[in-house]
Amino acid sequence: MSLDLDVHLSAIAAGDAQAFALWLAGAEGILRGRLRSFAGSVDTEAVLQESMLRVWQVAPKFKPDGRPNSLLRLACRICRNYAVDEIRRAGRSPIELLDADAAVEVSAPDPLLRRAIALCREALPAAPARALSLRLDACGARHDRELAERAEMTLNTFLKNVGRARKLLVECLRKRGIALETT
Amino acid sequence: MTRETLIERVVSAFRSTDPHGRIRDEPAWHDLDEAGRVEAFEATVIARAQEAALHPQGLSTTAQAVLARLGV
Repeated sequence: MSLDLDVHLSAIAAGDAQAFALWLAGAEGILRGRLRSFAGSVDTEAVLQESMLRVWQVAPKFKPDGRPNSLLRLACRICRNYAVDEIRRAGRSPIELLDADAAVEVSAPDPLLRRAIALCREALPAAPARALSLRLDACGARHDRELAERAEMTLNTFLKNVGRARKLLVECLRKRGIALETT
Repeated sequence: MTRETLIERVVSAFRSTDPHGRIRDEPAWHDLDEAGRVEAFEATVIARAQEAALHPQGLSTTAQAVLARLGV
């Protein structure tokens, strides 16, 4: 089922951050996917977060074009333009650009996937489970050095455990017949 | 740091900001070669899908980090 994230647009434009959260939940995968061709040239996580903040800033003045997911299509352009600016700023070689205005299709979340991931997470060994929990609970707001201290691990061990947790989850999901797509 | 741990640093949603509030690159990203950067990107795609699926509102750590900057 395809969703139109513009249902949140008027609330976002009015400064409703909870509506923006709902929009982000649906938009992130599409936006990240559009940055794939930039992955070797820019830190796409930094570009994506900065672009999301810019979407929030411009939303009050944004005029939708009447087609579905107009704010998401604008966000795709913001992401691409920011990535291109970063490449230029760093003096790196330009890359072949994908069409930022290409149609976007947003899918509804899958409750079965959520259940499967939760079961796989419960099956993780203690150290990777602890490292992953700290990463998730930090909500992207804490440096790994701080999280490693909380876990009473060296930074290196903490990072290895996060990586191990991530790989074990993928393996567990695969055994359940679930392969997470890389968009 | 090994290649593996550099990739894990890049997969994290944590990014510092400069004095103007602009989001900075993760320094480990600059220490990776192009293949490592692409590998980190693909790992991030999967990690964020897992995080969003586990979160009651479907928010990954990226989305949560952005919302935190808005004061939510």
